[in-house]
Order: sequence, then structure tokens, then C-alpha cells
Amino acid sequence: MNQAIALGYGDLAVAALLLLVAGGVSVGLGLGLGRQLLLAAVRTVVQLLLVGYVLAFVFGLGTLPAMLAMAAVMIVAAARAAVRRPARTYRGAFGHAFVTLLLAGLVVTTTVTAGVIGVVPWFAPRYFIPLLGMILGNSLTGVSLGLDTLLERVSEQRGRVELELALGATGWEAARPHVREAVRRGLIPIVNSMMVVGLVSIPGMMTGQILAGADPIGAVKYQIMVMFMVAAGTSLGCIGVVLLAMRRVFNGRHQLDLAPLRKQAGP
Amino acid sequence: MTDRPLFRIRGLAVHAGERPLLSGLDLELQAGEIVACRGASGTGKTTLLRTLACLQDPAAGRLELAAGSPAEHGWPAWRRRVMLVPQQPIMLADTVRDELAHAFTYRGHTAGFDADRARRLLADVNLGDVPDAAPPQDLSVGQQQRVALVRALLLDPDVLLLDEPTSALDLDAAEAVRTLVRREVTSRPAAALVVSHDSGGSARWCDRVLDLAAHAAAARA
Repeated sequence: MNQAIALGYGDLAVAALLLLVAGGVSVGLGLGLGRQLLLAAVRTVVQLLLVGYVLAFVFGLGTLPAMLAMAAVMIVAAARAAVRRPARTYRGAFGHAFVTLLLAGLVVTTTVTAGVIGVVPWFAPRYFIPLLGMILGNSLTGVSLGLDTLLERVSEQRGRVELELALGATGWEAARPHVREAVRRGLIPIVNSMMVVGLVSIPGMMTGQILAGADPIGAVKYQIMVMFMVAAGTSLGCIGVVLLAMRRVFNGRHQLDLAPLRKQAGP
Repeated sequence: MTDRPLFRIRGLAVHAGERPLLSGLDLELQAGEIVACRGASGTGKTTLLRTLACLQDPAAGRLELAAGSPAEHGWPAWRRRVMLVPQQPIMLADTVRDELAHAFTYRGHTAGFDADRARRLLADVNLGDVPDAAPPQDLSVGQQQRVALVRALLLDPDVLLLDEPTSALDLDAAEAVRTLVRREVTSRPAAALVVSHDSGGSARWCDRVLDLAAHAAAARA
């Protein structure tokens, strides 16, 4: 493997010059984007450096508790982001998103580190944390879309759901078309990106590996594994949260109960 | 008819959310009987039918079908036997035939779909010339209302809860619906509770009238 070309802070300053040019154009044309661009640039630097130091610290410890603590913070953040986007929510939605992302994230990541890559120990944070991050980042979209679709459909098509119940359907039979649609929509982004990967987009992780000097074929193998893992995590997360939400809006008497739902403004 | 009633309501109170609509409602339906349910707009007639179909819980009181409570029957089984036909017809399938067969896909329905009987019932409500393959969404509201009635009758319910079953129908079609419901109720025998504004037609059709005014006043008190 070739050696990656390390970047110094001076190199980053050169990259920042490019941004300065863009900012200058914005100010010159009076587009009013100068301040936003500056803020965004500062946030990028601060957030990433912070994460870099945290990662270095956790990787240095290399222990199971350190990995779990970091994973817990990531899962909480992912669950919060996932439940903020849907147009409707209910008390307990965060808990449902947390549980499904926790299970999907840990099961898939552990399978990959222990079973596919064969990392020793399986929880080595250097591998576990970045992989978990990729799974969570994608799964939370699946959770969001699935939740949004299910709650929208049972609210907007309440008459249809209750008609099926009136005709003798169980709660599950009346919910099934809407559950199916919710899962389908939750999986559209990941299925789309699997369809065009390599043709339209060169994934960021593969780009990173190639820039870091890896052999392209090796990078491709890694990327295939990542796509499978992300698709698995997204499916599990989406299906899990949709089933939990369905149980929330149907009660034990096979009635549709929309009382727990409330609308929320987007993030 | 001194037999034990087919369907019995005891001390029923009906709420819409937190708002009380009806209270102290007692009613017995004998097999073979059609009862009209009358009350001013907003009295809670539709909410009453929803409650009887167990699509929502009563605030108080008991429901009994053939001496069994909804819990004893199981809720989906209760709704198969105490069947609500909503006023606004909603079509579920892509063809009239699939529409009528739809509910037979539920696990709880053990009988098979009888296509010949479906055609005969359609003809009974002046829909004999509607092809099996027609998309039900393309039918008029009045036609959909009758398809919805046939869809329910095919499932052989013991109690029919009909919410304004003739509201979108012309005189001929309304008369055909009344004749068909009377025949089905008599032959099974079943019972029907009918919400209707059209007091003339329904008065001649129904065996007696349940007036909700007193129960609505009691709920407000």
C-alpha cells in the first residue's frame, strides 16, 4: 500500500483561500451569503477538529466501555435527528427510534467487524465507530421516511383504514398496505444509491481510501461491504420503527387510535 | 317475538373525544327487525354507529350480540357480525369484482367469495349493467354507495349499521336498496339499524324508530 500524503495546517490554509474567493464573489455581488459561508466554514473546522480529538482519544483507549459510550452518544443524536423530520410524531417516538437504531446499528456493525473484516477485538473503536457512523447516518433517513409515511397515511387515509376494520380486518390487516408503503419509501434512497453507485457517484469512503493510497480494487471491495451493511441497517431500522409506530396507533381492540399523534414543524 | 334479542345495548353513553353526545341508551334488536335512528344533525348518530361497530369505545354501557360481548367475540369477529356501512363510500380495489371480494382476503372470513351471488345482489340494486372489471373509483357516488352495501351484505352480517344508505340515490335506486335490505334481513334473519334523514321513505320501511333527542339532552345535562 502506498503512503498517504499527509496534510499540514498550511495546506488547509491554501484550501481555505478557495473559499475566500467564493466569499469575495458573494460580497462583491451583494448576495449576502458572506456571513453564512464564514459561519459554515468555521463550524466545519471546529466540529471536525473536535471529532478528530474525540476519535483519537477513544481510539487511544481502545476499550469496550469507551466504544459503547461513544456509540451511545451517536445513537442518541441519530434518533433525535430521525424523529425531528417527520410531519407528525407521538410521545415515545424518540424511544422507538432509539431502540431500532441501537439494534440495527449494533447488530450490523458487530456482524461486520466480527464476521466480515475479522477485527480483533471485535469492538476495536477504530473500526467499530466509523462503520457504526455510516450505518446510523443512512439508517436515520430510513427511520425518518418510514415514520413520516406511516403516520401520514394512517392520518390522511383514516376512512380507508377504518373501513377495512369495519369489514372485519384485524389491525394488522388494515395497516398492512400502509406499513408496506412506509417501508418502501424508507428504502428508496438506499436502493437508488445502490443502483447508481460508481456510475453517478464515487462514494466518499472509497474516495477517501483511494486518496489515502489504497488499491482501487481493495477500496471497491470495502465499498461493496459498506453498501450491503448500510442497506441492511436501513432496512432493519425502517421496518423496526414502522412496526413499533403501528403498534402505537392501533390498540389491543383493533381500533385506529390517532389521539397520541401530534403535528410538528420540521427542524 | 319474545325470543332473546339478537342485539342488545344497555346504558350506553357515547363521546366524541371528551364531549358527551348521548347517554342512557337502551335498545334491543330482534332478528328480522329494521329500526330507524333519528336525531338532529350533530346529535351523534354516526358516532353511535361507530361505537356499536367498536371502532371507538363507549364512555359507558354494554353491547351484546347473541349474549356475547365484543371482547368475548373478539373485535374483528364482532365487526364482521355487526357491520358498519359508512355514509361516504370508500373504494379499496381496482375493479368492482375485487372490491366485492376484498374482505374475503382477511384471515377471519372463512367463507369463500361467491361471484354469482355478488352479481345477483348488484342487479338487485340496479347495478346489473356495471361490468366486473370496471374501476369502482369511476362510478358515481350513488353507484359506489350501492357497491359498498353489496360488499357488506356478501359477508352475511347479523346486524347491519347503515349510515344514510340512500343519501346519494334517486328514488328508484333508494327503493331498490330498501327492498334488498328488507329481504336480506328477513331471510338471514338479521337486524338493521338505519340512520336516515329522509323520514318519509324510512318511516314506511322501518319497523320502529329510535329517537335520540332525549338521550342527547341527558348527555348534555
